[in-house]
Amino acid sequence: MTLRRLPQQAGEVIDRSQPLKFTWNGKPAVGYQGDTIASAIAAGGNRIMSRSMKYHRPRGLLTADFWDPNAFVQVDDEPNVRSGHRQLTDGIDVSPQNVWPSLDYDIKAANQLVGRFLSPGFYYKTFIHPQKLWPAYEKVLAQFAPGGTVDYESEMAYFDKRYTHPDVVVAGGGPAGMAAAIAAAEAGASVLLVEHEHYLGGHLRYGTEEDRALANGLEVAARAAGVEILLDSTVTGRYEDNWLGIVQRSHPLASERLIKARAKTLIVAAGLIERPYVFEGNDRPGVMLASAARRLINMYAVQPGERAVVFTANESGDQTVADLERAGVTVAKVVDARAGGNIVSTEGSQKAIESVTMADGTSVDADLLITAVGWTAPTSLLNMSGDRPIYDPSAARFFPDRTPDNVLVTGGLAGDGTVDQLVEHGRETGTLAAARAAAVAHRLQASTARATPVDGAEPAMAADTRNPLGRDAHPELYRSTTHGIVDYSEDVGSKDLVSATKEGYDSVELLKRYTTATMGPAQGKLETVNTVAVLAEARGETIAEVGTTIWRPPYAPLTLGALAGRIFEPERVSSVHSWHVANGAKPILAGQWIRPEHYGNPEAEVMNVRENVGIIDVSPLGKLDLQGADVPKLLNLLYTNKWSKLDVGAVRYGIMCAEDGVVMDDGVTGRLGENRWLMTTTSSGAGSVWEWAENWLQTAHPDWDVHITPVTTSYTSINIAGPKSRELLSRLTDVPVDADSFEYMRVRTGTVAGVADCVMWRIGFTGELSFELHVPAGYGLHVWEALMAEGADLGIKPFGLEAQRVLRLEKGHFIVGQDTDGLTKAPTTGLQPLIKLDKDDFAGKPELAWAMGQGVGDDESSSAIDLPVLVSVQMTDSSIVPPEASQIVRPKTNEILGRITSSRYSPTLKASIGLAQVPPAYAASGTQLTVLLTSGERTTATVQAHHAHFDPDGLRLRA
Amino acid sequence: MTSPTFQSPVTNGYSPTPGAELTLTDQSNQGKMIVRAGAGTGARGALAQPFASSRVAGSVLIAGTRPDEWMILGPSDAVSSVVSSIPDAGHVSFVDWTHGRAMFRLTGNVASSALEKVCGLDWSDAMMPNGAVTSASVAKVTCDVIRNDEDDTPSYLILCDRSFGQYMFDALLDAGEEFTISAVV
Repeated sequence: MTLRRLPQQAGEVIDRSQPLKFTWNGKPAVGYQGDTIASAIAAGGNRIMSRSMKYHRPRGLLTADFWDPNAFVQVDDEPNVRSGHRQLTDGIDVSPQNVWPSLDYDIKAANQLVGRFLSPGFYYKTFIHPQKLWPAYEKVLAQFAPGGTVDYESEMAYFDKRYTHPDVVVAGGGPAGMAAAIAAAEAGASVLLVEHEHYLGGHLRYGTEEDRALANGLEVAARAAGVEILLDSTVTGRYEDNWLGIVQRSHPLASERLIKARAKTLIVAAGLIERPYVFEGNDRPGVMLASAARRLINMYAVQPGERAVVFTANESGDQTVADLERAGVTVAKVVDARAGGNIVSTEGSQKAIESVTMADGTSVDADLLITAVGWTAPTSLLNMSGDRPIYDPSAARFFPDRTPDNVLVTGGLAGDGTVDQLVEHGRETGTLAAARAAAVAHRLQASTARATPVDGAEPAMAADTRNPLGRDAHPELYRSTTHGIVDYSEDVGSKDLVSATKEGYDSVELLKRYTTATMGPAQGKLETVNTVAVLAEARGETIAEVGTTIWRPPYAPLTLGALAGRIFEPERVSSVHSWHVANGAKPILAGQWIRPEHYGNPEAEVMNVRENVGIIDVSPLGKLDLQGADVPKLLNLLYTNKWSKLDVGAVRYGIMCAEDGVVMDDGVTGRLGENRWLMTTTSSGAGSVWEWAENWLQTAHPDWDVHITPVTTSYTSINIAGPKSRELLSRLTDVPVDADSFEYMRVRTGTVAGVADCVMWRIGFTGELSFELHVPAGYGLHVWEALMAEGADLGIKPFGLEAQRVLRLEKGHFIVGQDTDGLTKAPTTGLQPLIKLDKDDFAGKPELAWAMGQGVGDDESSSAIDLPVLVSVQMTDSSIVPPEASQIVRPKTNEILGRITSSRYSPTLKASIGLAQVPPAYAASGTQLTVLLTSGERTTATVQAHHAHFDPDGLRLRA
Repeated sequence: MTSPTFQSPVTNGYSPTPGAELTLTDQSNQGKMIVRAGAGTGARGALAQPFASSRVAGSVLIAGTRPDEWMILGPSDAVSSVVSSIPDAGHVSFVDWTHGRAMFRLTGNVASSALEKVCGLDWSDAMMPNGAVTSASVAKVTCDVIRNDEDDTPSYLILCDRSFGQYMFDALLDAGEEFTISAVV
């Protein structure tokens, strides 16, 4: 192995004072700061970088940049790293992927022996029959899956996200892109310049001294103009209204950052990508693009070979000859395509070329073949903007057709010219982009209330008066007279494409999908035009006639982590949360709220409420402040019962239905003053009820004087429940709480534990004497701690959601969303007395009237329907608690009749109890129900006389 | 029994970061009053603040948060004083949101860059000048955001439901970490 690091090169980007140690293929290696992994490996004299996907043929560097299809490696626990792009860091372990036992001797290379059978569609044709064998096929095929190894134990990386709204985004930091960015910034635009590589300058970076000086000058000017520059970043997609996805790979805090940019104008200056040539042996290590050789020599000081043949059709190839000679490479022959020269094959071992054969039959010994046959225009972002680029055979590439006003093109994508001409075109484009962005900005500011006001009418979109770039003549060179690899990533050759075309896959979109050509990690940047050219040749048509595939996002592959970005998972806690944590509460996530499920022993918590007093934090309970003269009208509209006569100090329970009569929420509303009400909703309904009410107000009754303000988190809500709750509360409040002064279903406001403006209402979800406190949240913890302290001698204990669920089930209270579902109409709940069909109107009334068999208007056809009935059940075997949602079935046929909606073991009753939805015929007290358990076994349950298993007369509640 | 003291929704402890580019200050204890006033009411004239804008009036900030809604922020006594001067005749309502909303102040020359990491709005001076008021999804939580510069340094008041307070404070600190940020609680 010969080390190939050259003496210092004028334009090298490596820092020789900073050597970096790493391992490649299990052996120690050294590179420098600034090296890519691939350049460091190449500098060590290694020519084989990988094995191909299907045939496991040895592959060497082809493009030596981001797009190199032969340079994917595993770096530590990270698979599929693009070593042509990723910069070397100290101490990494770099290994080849999908080889066994080694890169040099890969047994899977035996695939080549059966290559004739691995034609396009091989998988589809071979493994479709018999279908039952697919699992076996799958296991075998998985052994041949390409790519690196995923380590599931790896620490999860951090991915970041950013939103930005620059006036101008420039995609591409070559000379034209930089010039455009500078001009736009100097015209007053905010500019984001996004460069795919680690350096600005594009091809100038591996060009002449003058080229590099120009690149440096432009970079200095761009920074001075205030252009924000993102290196190692890619505009991955362009969507409606110039919504751009940008992936930033180099970020100090994150593995990758996804930037969502809304650009007023997008300048596409993506440059050109050099294209490989298709001929026999074109994937042998040692065959390399001219731009790759120039990168290796001029930027990384790596000698790409010792004796070269250069096949050139353009100036870039000519310049490579000079670079090679300067790097000490013997240029054995220059084959000039412009003079009719051509190459037809390489010969040698699979691991290296030894000679190159020309079309005239001559052969030259060489270990390096450089091809310079033209460029592909990466028009992806233009495709995504709606453009359909047009092929120009005289220039042998595609050019833009029509782009939207807010998308401009410059640089090599737009045409050819000297560097000065490209820079000038870039400047004109930047100035135009800034002017158009200003027009968009004017419109946005004029239509946004919070924005800085703008004067006058919206400026017209600036006309495009740029001097167009020319088009240099270039020979059409895609495939020689021999066949070779077209898609290096997918191991698809020109023979495969011709064969697929003959099979009938002769449209470019079909051919792509059938053969997978252009679908690999290079995303078609190297393969698309060659694929089209081979297809055109097979069809006997021109490239223009065949057309091309449409490039869709992403421009370059990005990780799923980058797409997921920074994860926001809002969580809500009450003012008492820290106390819950400190006192051993087991947390449970209820919606976004973190709530105490229990404090260790939920059954004991239940019994303490029944015997002493308990407190529960019910802060998530939805709360809406209602003010205005027309609040009773709104309540009458939202609830099924009547609200016109609710006096100050009273509280009433109600259920709300959607317009289809299905129960959507329930809760209590109290009247705090002449014009002020406090409505509570279920915890999960806090947002939806607010929206529901606002919807009615803003659409149907904008004339009503009602203001609704959500105050859920303004209050810490605490339910004090148990026979000793009155005694406890009386110790802390100035409000009389005796039974006569503070009756059931009444509301009071006053001071609790020194905290003014507390709302207290006497209601009960647990079936016990209860007081619900709503305390200004900033003092919630204070009141909670005061209750715990004052209640110590009363046996006070906190209780959590689980105990509350048992308590309410013992009392037979249903929970909307658990005991009801998306089809549960109000009568099902057993609360028919709360459905007042004699009210003028309320949400869901027509549907409920029909459902309850009372008809609507003159519709005499309606009649009562068999709505399910919510009943209380007790299991025959108290040791069996059927899981919620267990089916209730007809014993002999297993026909599903209904389901258990809630179930728990009741420590109070020492019984297994529940609520269930059943048909009316099964709802009578004493009916035996058969419950199918998840184990397949059955148990029986008996319908109870009341919903309430415990204290059905409510004596404890009203005590 | 101890006398009640206002408890912030931010209960975690933080150490200040000297020299940080950004500061995030917990101002949840400030008074916050919502005023809603229908068309033609005297309250509208007294408030005299267009939607989506704000002004400093003495020690309080008056912000037009919705077309018919204003928020008055500042020391509780000062807020009460302003509220008492607003005519309540007609369709006018007042709701004290002091306890219902967490309020944080993010200050620094790169404050908008930190906000760009948690919110999709355009924070440029043109679209969000000093005094501008908007509602926005910040770190996936609905917030009111008011730009209220301090000594010509960009500064934003961010208000959200109190229950999200700790989450929001931490999300903003995380967003500011890239630029260095100091928490003041």
